Amino acid sequence: MASTPSIPPVNSPTQSQAPVEKPSAPPVHILPSKVARIYSFVHPGLILALGASRFQAVVANPAQELLQDLPWLALLQLFYVILCVPPAGSSEPGSSDNEEKKKPAARSPSSPGVTLRPGKPGLRRKPSSGKSDWSGVWAKLMPAFLSLALTSILATPVLSALLVLFGAPLTTHNAETLLCAAHMAFLSATGLIYAHGVDNSVWKEVWGIARPADAVWGAALGTGLGAWFGAIPIPLDWDRPWQAFPITILTGAYIGYAAGSLISRVPFVYGKRVQFAVEDTEEDEKKTN
Amino acid sequence: MVGFKSGWAVVLANILIPLGILVFSSGFFPYKPLLPGLATFDNVNQDETPAVFDKVIFMVVDALRSDFVYSNESGFSFTQSLIRAGAALPFTAFASSPTVTMPRLKAMTTGSVPSFLDVILNIAESDTSSTLAYQDTWLAQLKARGDRLVMYGDDTWLKLFPGMFDRADGTTSFFVSDFVEVDNNVTRHVPDELAQNDWSAMIMHYLGLDHIGHKAGPKSPFMLSKQQEMDTIVDTIYTAIQHQSHLESTLFVLCGDHGMNEAGNHGGSSAGETSPALLFISPKFEKIRSNLESPVETPDDLRFYQTVQQSDITTTLAGLLGLPIPINSLGVFIPGFLNMWGSGSQKLQLLSQNARQLLNIVKSTFPSATFDVESYSNCDLDKLSGIEEVQCAWSQAQILLSQDQMTEETFTHVGPALQRFSQITQEVMSSTASNYDVSRLSVGVLVLAIATALLLPTIYREFSRTASTGIFLILMVAGYGSMMFASSYVEEEQQFWYWICSGWIFYLHMRSESQVSPRKSSSRLLKMATLGLILSQRILRRWNQTGQKFAAEPDIARDFFSAQPVTLWGLVILTYMDSSYHLFSNMPSIIPTKLLVVVLPALAFLFKLNFVANDSPELLVDLPLSKITEGWLGSLSLVWQAKAVFAGLVICAVLAIVSAKRSQSIQANALFHETIHLFLITQSRATNIPIFLIFRLQSKILSSLKLTGIETTITTLIFQYMTFFAFGGSNAISSVDLSSAYNGVGSYNVILVGILTFVSNWAGPIWWISMNHLLCPYSSKEHDSAALFTFHIATSLVSVMAACTVLRTHLFIWTVFSPKYLYSMAWAMANHVIVNIFGGIGLAYLWPRK
Repeated sequence: MASTPSIPPVNSPTQSQAPVEKPSAPPVHILPSKVARIYSFVHPGLILALGASRFQAVVANPAQELLQDLPWLALLQLFYVILCVPPAGSSEPGSSDNEEKKKPAARSPSSPGVTLRPGKPGLRRKPSSGKSDWSGVWAKLMPAFLSLALTSILATPVLSALLVLFGAPLTTHNAETLLCAAHMAFLSATGLIYAHGVDNSVWKEVWGIARPADAVWGAALGTGLGAWFGAIPIPLDWDRPWQAFPITILTGAYIGYAAGSLISRVPFVYGKRVQFAVEDTEEDEKKTN
Repeated sequence: MVGFKSGWAVVLANILIPLGILVFSSGFFPYKPLLPGLATFDNVNQDETPAVFDKVIFMVVDALRSDFVYSNESGFSFTQSLIRAGAALPFTAFASSPTVTMPRLKAMTTGSVPSFLDVILNIAESDTSSTLAYQDTWLAQLKARGDRLVMYGDDTWLKLFPGMFDRADGTTSFFVSDFVEVDNNVTRHVPDELAQNDWSAMIMHYLGLDHIGHKAGPKSPFMLSKQQEMDTIVDTIYTAIQHQSHLESTLFVLCGDHGMNEAGNHGGSSAGETSPALLFISPKFEKIRSNLESPVETPDDLRFYQTVQQSDITTTLAGLLGLPIPINSLGVFIPGFLNMWGSGSQKLQLLSQNARQLLNIVKSTFPSATFDVESYSNCDLDKLSGIEEVQCAWSQAQILLSQDQMTEETFTHVGPALQRFSQITQEVMSSTASNYDVSRLSVGVLVLAIATALLLPTIYREFSRTASTGIFLILMVAGYGSMMFASSYVEEEQQFWYWICSGWIFYLHMRSESQVSPRKSSSRLLKMATLGLILSQRILRRWNQTGQKFAAEPDIARDFFSAQPVTLWGLVILTYMDSSYHLFSNMPSIIPTKLLVVVLPALAFLFKLNFVANDSPELLVDLPLSKITEGWLGSLSLVWQAKAVFAGLVICAVLAIVSAKRSQSIQANALFHETIHLFLITQSRATNIPIFLIFRLQSKILSSLKLTGIETTITTLIFQYMTFFAFGGSNAISSVDLSSAYNGVGSYNVILVGILTFVSNWAGPIWWISMNHLLCPYSSKEHDSAALFTFHIATSLVSVMAACTVLRTHLFIWTVFSPKYLYSMAWAMANHVIVNIFGGIGLAYLWPRK
């Protein structure tokens, strides 16, 4: 995906504990302002409402309608991330000192491998030091623009390829696949790019499905899983027009987005990673005993 | 990995699986004995009953539902006038499920009730063996009398009765959108045949009305005009019977083979489908004075007038034509026609002929029944059921028969008793033939449920170590089980496996990513590994389009390769070279054997080339390769080429087994796998052969992923099913690939052909179970893949059996659920018990994991 081929050096002494102690960006907080808090709960509902209100039109003419809805989805998503999500490179205003300290330490090992972080070191200082509105707006608009651009030119093709690999038609329905991927990209990648920029270690974790649960990662994972489950009704012999290719997938993605962004913020889930089976080596040792 | 250390639960479960299948099958496919030979009049009794008619015109209008003829909206106005005049006697002929043409024709001609097994055998057997040529039918009785028969219409009749007809013109029902030509093709023969005097049975089978139903339903605007067209033909024939002297003693039967539902389809057991019309037409019937109204209001269940069984047609026809009743007929002579005979003794003669013929069938089906008149002298019919009731009715009739002097009065006493016996017999015998034994079905489900329950502790122990894998498997098993209750998911089962496979690859990707950091050296490769896995799976998915809904869409095997034969043969040659390379590198270093592995794949390729040149030459058009098949190499016998290949494979397998116990154990195991690899290639269609290259790639990737034992087993399980469908398999009987079933078999041998058929259809699953043994990590020897395989097959059998039990009256039971059950039997008995379990034990014995 977006990750560069360089590998972060391992600094963990014990192998079996390696994944847990792997340095990474902490989970993303929703900004502490009251408006942000409230809107962050309203937003998934708005996204669902957008999907539901345009459903009939999408069934009637998928490609055209999905294209027309795309700008609205993009606008909604950008508005949401600017309002609610701390932008890439910012230290979170409300977070504790302890996280402030952790973050640079966590980033340092991966920085040699990162080549694409335009203007970030400068940006990081600004919100904390300068209080001017202009710089605050700029600190938000820059990642927003980056997020819009990368979602369109990078995440959409990558998701299109993934859709095809997971079974989307290759020889037909190309416009539908591309638009479906674009919608999924705006649901999943916009927040991730806005919050993390092109931080190599974060994208490695995304690739490995190893991010800790937070609103943006939960939304992204929910979008993907929802799309996967959305394939279920397609083989039924009901002969309904909504069973056509991208519609159920995208419906699943929208529902998965809303569910994922809300569930991942439940205190019990927040910050957790997708847990895996115990380590291989340990298990085998037990068995041979 | 497998063996007796599996524990008693796994062993017991694997004993219960065949047992459960056996019990369930005996309830699902009831055995129905067929008596051989033709019926004759036994000369012990008086002379046979005199015939009322000497000719019969049997006009079948496909899907002629009762209301099409009898209701107020009918187009059969002339026929209705015949009913009012009493020249036509109307009935509703109950057609039992499956309401499709061939079993219905069997019912109407033999009088027996075809079971589902007949239908399956009809589809599975080749055209020549599904005939009624050796069964007793009223057609065979006419033929035996030396009469001539003619047939026009649906060519199903020609398949059922080869060589029966002196003149025939069959039409296929292939082009369902044709409403006109199929019927004109029959009607154009009618005037000529009516002028002829040489036949005593003319059969006509019109398909147009059925086609309209399939295309546009029973309310189609075409329906009325089609009914009027059929009515005109009735008019033509009836007028000819009235006016032409050689036809004066002709019985005209107009009937539907089945009805149709409101969507215009048939096959199931709804009222519309099971209620076709049946009319016996002749001017002679006017003397019976039936005084029936026509048209009449449509009853809700579409049962107009008197309802009879379709099998009654056979018996009634035999009676009216003066023929012996066909030996397997379960029909009861329709009582209304008894008045065609004047004397009571003749009526009694007919009834007792019918009763004795039925008794004959009962005795052969229930050999233990004594039919002892004494022990049933004081029985009460209302309190008995089944064979007891039959015996009671028989003794009551016999007692009445022995009491009376044979006078004209006898008929009024004994007739009803004999008719009652016949009715009861028909009910009892019909239900043994087509009803399910629900208690056996339930026992079958229960046995499999016990097998599943037995495995639960083992499965729990397996997954207590790796919870996430366990959750995935439980979701998979639950999803697969609930899918078996939905007909479209059964038809599109491949979609489930492709879907779950992509999910599993995603899971493996996450797993491998979480393992990357300790082994960073291989991480870049591993990133590509899961991508390669999902890419290869995506290609396999499109290799053969299968199922129902998307079956016609373009795919690789059918469309891409027929357009790109050079690519196909390039890949095929590459597959054989790859096979040769791997055989060579795993063969013990002795010169003769090294030579063998160079010659053997070449020989196998030559065989495949010549096979394709014979079987599907379109794949070789204009290719340089076709020169080889045209030369002397192509003239060699295919059977001997295949035998030579198989002989070489046996040598390789023996070498692998012999060197198993030596030091090069792993190499010998690989050699054995390579032998199977080449055998499976030989048993696969040419267009599927490159799939083995993909398998090679996938196994390389999987071995690089360093999976745990349990993950390897789940991967194998998913890949077994996924590749079965990728090779073109489906849950339809018609998708069984028989093209490689006769490789190296000179004459028909049911066991050899069966094995070869299984191998050629289950090539993917067999390859992966062999690979499973190579992939299983050495360290996890306590992992029990047999338990996992058994658990999966047991749960899937429970759900398939439960679905077949619950949905036994479902419209698609014959077309979807029963074929799925047959496939499940093959998966469980052949693929699971023989290949997975016994094959696994064999491999584990020869090449034990340390």
